[in-house]
Amino acid sequence: MRRPFSPITQVRHISRDTRDTLFLLATIAAVTLPHGDHLPLWVTALTGLILAWRAGLALSGRALPGRWVLVGVLVLTAGLTWLTHRTLMGREPGITMLVMLMAMKSLELRARRDAFVVFFLGFFLVLTQFLYSQSMLMAVWMLLSVWALLSAVVLAQMPVGQPSLGLAAKLALRTCAIGLPVMVGLFLLFPRIAPLWGVPAETLGRTGLSSQMAFGAMSEIASDDGIALRLRFDNPGNLPPPPEARYFRGPVLGAFDGRLWTANELGYAGAADPLQVRGTPLRYEITVEPARIKVLPLLEMAPGEAGSGLQASGVELTRGPELDFAAKRPIAQRLRLNTSAHLNYRAGPLENSLALQSNLALPPSFNPRTMEWAAAFRKQRRFADLNEDNQAEVLAPAVLEHIRSNDYTYTLAPGRYGETTQHVIDEFWFDRRLGFCEHFAAAFVVVMRALDVPARVVTGYQGMDAEPVDGYWIVRNANAHAWAEYWTPAKGWVRADPTAAVAPGRVLQGQSLRAPAGVFAGALNQFNPALWPNLRASWEAVNNRWQQLVLNYSREDQFNLLKSLGVEQPDWLALGRVSAAVIAALALAGGLWTWWSGRPRDAWSRQRAHVLRQLRRWGVTDAAPHQAPRRWAALLSARHGAAAAPAAALLTALELSRYSHGSAAASNWMARRRWHADFRRAGRMLPSSPD
Amino acid sequence: MTVKRRWRAWWNARHPRADTHTMGQRNLYILPSRAGLAFCLTLAVLLIGTINDQLSLGYALTFLLAGAGLASMHLTHGNLRGLSLDLKPPQPVFAGDEIHLALRLHNPGRARYGVGVQVAGTPIDAVAWTDVPAGGHALLELRCAAELRGLRGLPDLQIVTRFPLGLFRAWSIWRPAARVWVYPRPELPTPPMPEQAAHDEGRRPAQALRLMRSAGLEFDGVRAYRRGDSARQVLWKKAALSFEAGTPLWVRDAQAPAAQQLWLDWRDAAPLATEARLSRLTAWLLAAERAQSPVGLRLSGFEAAPALDEAHLQACLQALAGVA
Repeated sequence: MRRPFSPITQVRHISRDTRDTLFLLATIAAVTLPHGDHLPLWVTALTGLILAWRAGLALSGRALPGRWVLVGVLVLTAGLTWLTHRTLMGREPGITMLVMLMAMKSLELRARRDAFVVFFLGFFLVLTQFLYSQSMLMAVWMLLSVWALLSAVVLAQMPVGQPSLGLAAKLALRTCAIGLPVMVGLFLLFPRIAPLWGVPAETLGRTGLSSQMAFGAMSEIASDDGIALRLRFDNPGNLPPPPEARYFRGPVLGAFDGRLWTANELGYAGAADPLQVRGTPLRYEITVEPARIKVLPLLEMAPGEAGSGLQASGVELTRGPELDFAAKRPIAQRLRLNTSAHLNYRAGPLENSLALQSNLALPPSFNPRTMEWAAAFRKQRRFADLNEDNQAEVLAPAVLEHIRSNDYTYTLAPGRYGETTQHVIDEFWFDRRLGFCEHFAAAFVVVMRALDVPARVVTGYQGMDAEPVDGYWIVRNANAHAWAEYWTPAKGWVRADPTAAVAPGRVLQGQSLRAPAGVFAGALNQFNPALWPNLRASWEAVNNRWQQLVLNYSREDQFNLLKSLGVEQPDWLALGRVSAAVIAALALAGGLWTWWSGRPRDAWSRQRAHVLRQLRRWGVTDAAPHQAPRRWAALLSARHGAAAAPAAALLTALELSRYSHGSAAASNWMARRRWHADFRRAGRMLPSSPD
Repeated sequence: MTVKRRWRAWWNARHPRADTHTMGQRNLYILPSRAGLAFCLTLAVLLIGTINDQLSLGYALTFLLAGAGLASMHLTHGNLRGLSLDLKPPQPVFAGDEIHLALRLHNPGRARYGVGVQVAGTPIDAVAWTDVPAGGHALLELRCAAELRGLRGLPDLQIVTRFPLGLFRAWSIWRPAARVWVYPRPELPTPPMPEQAAHDEGRRPAQALRLMRSAGLEFDGVRAYRRGDSARQVLWKKAALSFEAGTPLWVRDAQAPAAQQLWLDWRDAAPLATEARLSRLTAWLLAAERAQSPVGLRLSGFEAAPALDEAHLQACLQALAGVA
């Protein structure tokens, strides 16, 4: 027998149990493999070790380890999880434990029905993987994994002989193929509702936006090419704003506790920044990937007063006092909206107000050297004639110049801050001078506040890809950026980007934080410099379609689908009605099919059954299915005598038409109908006929 | 109680006894298995996780599995639908032995996998599994314990499958019409044969045989030809006489004719209880059969003259099995 799935030739000669076990182990490996990307290294190593051990046991036919070994591995796993995450609760530790449970389950795979446990655990692992990546490749890999899981289950349900893996895979595929319409229907029609409880978890261990910023907590940021925003500009040629204006305003962080930057708590009236926009707006369509934070990043500066609302794909957003748009809870779905931006604007109050005081606050007794430095800086003779009203416009460029002219270095891997001291700004400003945007922005804001200038950190995205893909300009997670705003009485809040002082390319050319090209891309560049970007661009185009059609499928698309189906006012009720109609139609079709396939295939059998029923109704109870019509005629005559003569004659004629040579009377349904009508009419002449 | 009886009557009317069993919409049942319920739970958890994390591919995965599960329901049902079974007439057995049921499964449709047959009510590991190739047939042998003697109906059979995903269990109940003779359990070890004196006017066959042998005579009985006698037994020298007289041929009887007088009587096993007596008589009958000596049986209301052939033996055993 051919086994297309056997990975090794040797597999052909091993027993069925061993082969099934090896297949299940390979399936477990395939399901857990993508988790290696984000789980601690020891999980991958331990899982690999356990699976290899189990495979060795299967091949050599030795006994499985006892209960105590399993308990030992479990305790070890729990201990390592605790050491890694400092907790056993939560998502990451949960996934770690799930992967380890899956591996350990392989150590007690005895009966074939244990395949079920692997089956169920496997589906959870597949789902949790989607928390990290929903790319097309991941989808294909996971589809193959699910196929393998289903094949293993099918194999477990074939107790006889040695069915080939190929056969099991084929049967699993057939099952899925039959279920495919159900899947498509549910995918299209199942209502996309908001999370039932809690909040979608923060994205794990990735760059991108977050609602807070811990200074120097990351020793290195991994560059993440994942797409954050897609933009299409509503002008001829789809032209984006100039590079120096490509700032997407996200969370504004005004509160600093010496380590952590968080949003200001501005709950009182009058705290909101007024906004004046001028000039023609730049209209654009934006698709925002879920960053799992409350704030929606939009191009600076969207019109609308603080407190105004915005509706995007069914999510209500409100503009905060610091001019960022925030939803009530973290946004875990893709949002698509049409909006506009004014490149020419003035934000913030023109008089010093109480609200500004919170943007001057610095944690007491932190960073003494920076405080001293700022005081000394302010006392320089060139700043002697500055007063409170005009100092900001002079001091800010001077501080930026300080950054530019001293040996501050822009790097993605500055190392961790605050390991030896709590004065992290001191450490950055004087000792190490290495960092990326958040270091520069935070230090700049602290120095400005020390100089008595209100300032705050703004996070968001800056820059975009050099070329649009498939008509969309792409902003990546690696474009996540932090900059600063300081306040002047003349202009309100003014943007200052200290990163531009050290790495102008990062800002002006919109270069995202990108690690050097890998070996493969490097080699390809050597070979043909145009090839890699081209490949990349077409891949992005396909990926974009995937994102828009599959991952982006939202409530809005559902309602659009309903609209195209002819529903005038698409809403939940209409969705429910359409779903009910589909289900009812399917049920009806199923019932009809059952009835159709259950009745006799040939007309002759159906006719005989019909006649027999009729005869029974006329009291000929001894008529049996195996008798010929002529016999029925005799029985009918015996029961009802002369009155039955016409019916008996019809029965005899029926037999003749069926069995005599060359006769085709019963072979067409019109003739059959006529015969039945005659037969019923003949039956009415019977004496005790209830008919 | 009456509800139960009426339910039973309705159930039996729904499943008329027959020696062939074709499964269709009317006699096939399907319910989710325990694994199927667990699967539903898994789907619910997957769906909640998907909704809470708004994962598009999570929806795709959940619905793919839901679709496959739903399809498996139809496939499980279809794995039995259209399959027909028939039963070879079962051989008589002794009480305490096992009845062997030889089943044949005919498959007019596509290949069926993992079809199991079991005696209804037995645990899952008593299921005999088989695959039935497309358009072909498969043979299965099933055993069930024969406990009570008599002409017994066969137990209900259950045809079951969980293929392909094991999420559903489809089954059908078959009540075979065939009946099987269960003979009394022979006593072990075989007790000594009863004394023949009481019935044979003082002649002791074994003793008589020994006397004749010691006299140097080869005792060789003759009797009329019976069906089944071999040609070598026929006394061909006397054949002409027989043909002339129109009588059956004479044949040499290999057994001592004295043994023809071996009778077994209900009273021979006297003080024992009914079942023990039947066991003993059965053991004697079988011992006589092994020794190739003709034996007769006398019961109240039944008498079979001594003979030595299969039909006679079966008749005697059936008489014993049927004792009220």
